[in-house]
Amino acid sequence: MRVASNAARLVTQVLAGEVWPALADRHAYRVGPDGQPFALPGMGGVTLGVHCGDPATGYASDHLEPGASVRHADPGANMALQFLTCVGNAVEVATGPAAGAVGHVFGQHAYVLVDFPADAMAGLATGDRVTVTATGQGLALTDHPAITVKNCSPELLASLPGGTTDDGRLEVHVAAVVPAEAIGAGAGMVSEYANTDLMGAYAGLGPDLSLGLEGLRIGDIVALQDSDHRFGRGYRDGYLTIGVISTGQCMLFGHGPGPSTLLSGPREAFRLVSDTDANLASWFHAAPEVSR
Amino acid sequence: MTGQATRNVRAVTVNLLGLVEHPELGDTPYRVSADGRPYVPAGDGGIVLGLRLGESTSGRDADHAAPGACLVHPDPAARHALTIYSCIGNQATVRTGQAAGARGIVIGKRGELGRVVVSFDQHDLARMRPSDQVAVRTCGQGWRPPGFPSEVTLLNTDPAALRQLPVNVSGDGASVTAGVRAVVPSKLAGNGIGRPAVGWDLDLQLGADEDVRLGDLVAVADLDARFNLGYRRGWLTVGVIVHGASPLPGHGPGITPILTGPAEVLRSAADPAGHVGLTEAVVRLLTVAELQLRRRATAACRKQV
Repeated sequence: MRVASNAARLVTQVLAGEVWPALADRHAYRVGPDGQPFALPGMGGVTLGVHCGDPATGYASDHLEPGASVRHADPGANMALQFLTCVGNAVEVATGPAAGAVGHVFGQHAYVLVDFPADAMAGLATGDRVTVTATGQGLALTDHPAITVKNCSPELLASLPGGTTDDGRLEVHVAAVVPAEAIGAGAGMVSEYANTDLMGAYAGLGPDLSLGLEGLRIGDIVALQDSDHRFGRGYRDGYLTIGVISTGQCMLFGHGPGPSTLLSGPREAFRLVSDTDANLASWFHAAPEVSR
Repeated sequence: MTGQATRNVRAVTVNLLGLVEHPELGDTPYRVSADGRPYVPAGDGGIVLGLRLGESTSGRDADHAAPGACLVHPDPAARHALTIYSCIGNQATVRTGQAAGARGIVIGKRGELGRVVVSFDQHDLARMRPSDQVAVRTCGQGWRPPGFPSEVTLLNTDPAALRQLPVNVSGDGASVTAGVRAVVPSKLAGNGIGRPAVGWDLDLQLGADEDVRLGDLVAVADLDARFNLGYRRGWLTVGVIVHGASPLPGHGPGITPILTGPAEVLRSAADPAGHVGLTEAVVRLLTVAELQLRRRATAACRKQV
C-alpha cells in the first residue's frame, strides 16, 4: 500500500505461546439456528486442510479456526499475546517435530491464529511452543488521521494494494462488502482481540438466514458497513471497518465467519475497490508456503 | 422448533438464592467510550438508588445502570442458573440485613457472568447492602401459555407477569400482539447478539434522542431469540428494557427478551408517546398479588391441619 506511516517508530517484541487444545464440556452439544443440537470441531488445536484463500464456509465445523490456535497459559501474558500480535507477524515453531517451521498470523479469535505450510502443520500438536515476533500495534497513517489502524503489521500494510489517492482518501481493495445486519457475536467487545462474527453465512441452511455471505474465503479482506471499531466494536452510521476473515463455518446461531479488525474510519476517508484477489493468500500464504 | 414444552404443562417454581452484587472494576478506573473518551463507569451493577422504572434510558451519566439491585451468586454455575431460571415478575425476598423481609420483583437480567435485576421500593433499597441474601421464587422459564400460537415462544417471563404486560392473543388464537414503545432494526443489536436469550440481555445501540424508558417493551425486527439471539429475516423479538445507556461502543439500553416469533404471527403495536410497559404500578400489583396468593395458600394449609 502506497501510504505514509509511522512504521519506523514501532518496536518489535518477542512473545511466547503454545498451541492450545480444543475444549469441550460433558454436555457436548450446542444449539444451531433452528434448534439443531450439534457437536462439531473447529476451535482450538491444529485444524488441517484449510488455508488462506480456501472457502470459509461449507465444512462440518463450528467456529472453524484454520491452522494453529495459540494462547499463553498465564492469563496476563495471554492478553498481552492476544492484544499485541498483529496480522502478518511471523510465528516460528519452538518445540516438537515441527520446530523451526515459520508461518504467519492471519487473524485473532480469542486465540492467535497461525497458518503454517501443510507439511509443518502435519507435525504440529497441542502443547507445542511457538514464538511470535509481534509488531504493528500503534501503527498510524500519517496522511489519514481519521483512520485508525489495528492488528495490522507493517509488512501487511506494505503488501496491501491501494494507498493514498490523489484526492487524499485511502484506497483499499476488498473481496466483499458486509451489511450492518450481519454483525453478530463480538459486537461491543474490544477490537484488538477475537473477531466479529458475521451472521447470514450459514451455508446450506434456510434462505431467511442468508445475507449473501456464503462465498467468503479465509483471508479475504472485507469492508463492514456502518461499523466503527476505533475504540471497540459498535454501530455507527457512515463508518467503515476493514477486516480480514480469520474464522469460518459456524453452526452456533448469531455467529459465523469473522473478520479481525485492520482499519476503521469514516466512509468518506476510504475508496473501496472490489477485488477478488484481496486475500492474504495473495501476499502471505501462497501455497505451498516454504518451510525452513 | 422452540425450547419449550409443547403441551399445556405447569411451570415449576424453584427457590434460589442470590446475593446483592458489589460493583467490580479492574485496576484501571477507565473505560473508553464510543467517541474515544475515557470515563469511569458508574452504576454498572450492584445497588443503584434513585433510578426508577419509567425514567429515560439516557437520562443519567452512567453505564448500564439498572433500576434496583443486581443479584449474583459466588459460584459461577449457580450464578448462571440463577440468571437463566429467574424470570420477569418473579418474587424476591430479602433474607438478611437491615432490609430483611422486603419484597421485590425481578424486572430482567443481564448476561455474560449473569445478573438478575430486582426492583424494590426505594426505602427498602436504601437499607440494603452488597452481599445481603435475597431469595428468588424462580418460575416461568420454558413455560408455554395456553392458547398461544405454536410459532410464538415466550421466555424469561413469570406466568403472573404476562397478564400484567401489554401482550394480547388475538380472538382466533392465530397471533400475538405486543404493545411497544418502539420497533428498532436488527442492525442496532449490539452486545448480546449470538448469546443465549435465556441468560443474556441484548444491548440496543440507540441514539440519545431515542425516547425509550426503563421497563418499556421494545421490538427488534429480523431477530430470532428462541435459542441464541441472531438475525432471521421476517422475525420479531420483543423485550423489556432492563438497564440504561452505556458510553461503550456496541452497547446501549438492554432488553431482556420475552417474546419471539415470525413477524406475521408475533406483531408489535408501537405507541411512542403512550406506551405503558413494566412500570412501578405493575411491580406493586405483582408484589401484592403474590402476597395474597401466599396468604390463601397458608389458610388452605391450616384448614387441612
